[in-house]
Amino acid sequence: MKTIKTANGRSIEIALDKSLYNKNEAIASINRRLLEEHGIKAVDILGSIGSGKTTITGCMAEILGKKKAVAALAGDITTTIDADRIREKGAEVLQINTDGGCHLDANMVKNALPMFDLEQLDILLIENVGNLICPGGYPVGAQQRMVVVSTTEGPYMIVKHPYIFKDASVVAINKIDLAAAMEVDLAQLKADALTIKPDIRVVFTNGRTGEGISELIAALGLTD
Amino acid sequence: MHETAIAMSIVETVLTEAEKQQAVSVQSIDIEIGELTFLGTDQIAFWVKTNFENTIAANAALNFIQVKAEVSCDACGYRGGLSITEDPAYHMQLPVFACPHCGRGTITIIKGKDAFIRTIHIEKE
Repeated sequence: MKTIKTANGRSIEIALDKSLYNKNEAIASINRRLLEEHGIKAVDILGSIGSGKTTITGCMAEILGKKKAVAALAGDITTTIDADRIREKGAEVLQINTDGGCHLDANMVKNALPMFDLEQLDILLIENVGNLICPGGYPVGAQQRMVVVSTTEGPYMIVKHPYIFKDASVVAINKIDLAAAMEVDLAQLKADALTIKPDIRVVFTNGRTGEGISELIAALGLTD
Repeated sequence: MHETAIAMSIVETVLTEAEKQQAVSVQSIDIEIGELTFLGTDQIAFWVKTNFENTIAANAALNFIQVKAEVSCDACGYRGGLSITEDPAYHMQLPVFACPHCGRGTITIIKGKDAFIRTIHIEKE
């Protein structure tokens, strides 16, 4: 602490060195430990509004649910629409409403985890709030992150949001059936993802038909 | 708008510390922002100043320090900045999340992912 005398009193410099993110990081570590203690594989699913996160999460839950105990957390600003859609696919679902918050944080997930029977659970799919910016700084404790981008968002979604890919291991390029209508080059989208993160696994999907979902599950290593 | 959460954390931290120190005013705050946080300093400043109104920090100057990303590579031991690809097709620069030296994805981001309140200057009677 440095003190300087001034005309009116004392001016003091205080070194705080306080991280503005480490509280979230610390809670994310607690979540990760809890999930690993129970042998649960968790995926944080990120993507824009309307990219198809819920449809893909539902498709994954349906396939995975045949052999494993799957649950989902559906993060949204309001309503239970997403949770209801995933529940129709047979998974146990808990909705987290953020009341306007633009991302899930580790504490929200920490509060939600005890509501599942963790002893019985194999896989937890965490659908984040639709947003390609804010969730980037808030890991929730999942071992993996997946980003969903879709052709209807246009050709520049990946290059315009490079930072969301920094912690992602898999990217699903969704709505491939609409690529021609949207005049979006799928190979270019894939090349953009690989430029930003050369070891990212890229999977083409169509959430409507289920095309590519098994490959997505394999890319996330959820089949073992 | 992840800036609001960060701004509120700054406001709470600074006012709590100032109260603990029995300060009469907060003069300035040094805030370090990592390149990979994607935080907008104009938005942070707006929300912090708005929430400092009618407090002893109302006139505090906000000094932002930008910190570049730094990575270390588990495979080859590289330590340094990220490489940036300039893509003429997009007229933009893209960060590459792989080792600039060996090209592998075995990197850990050691700088630039966080934001800090480094120092505050307060005045006491």
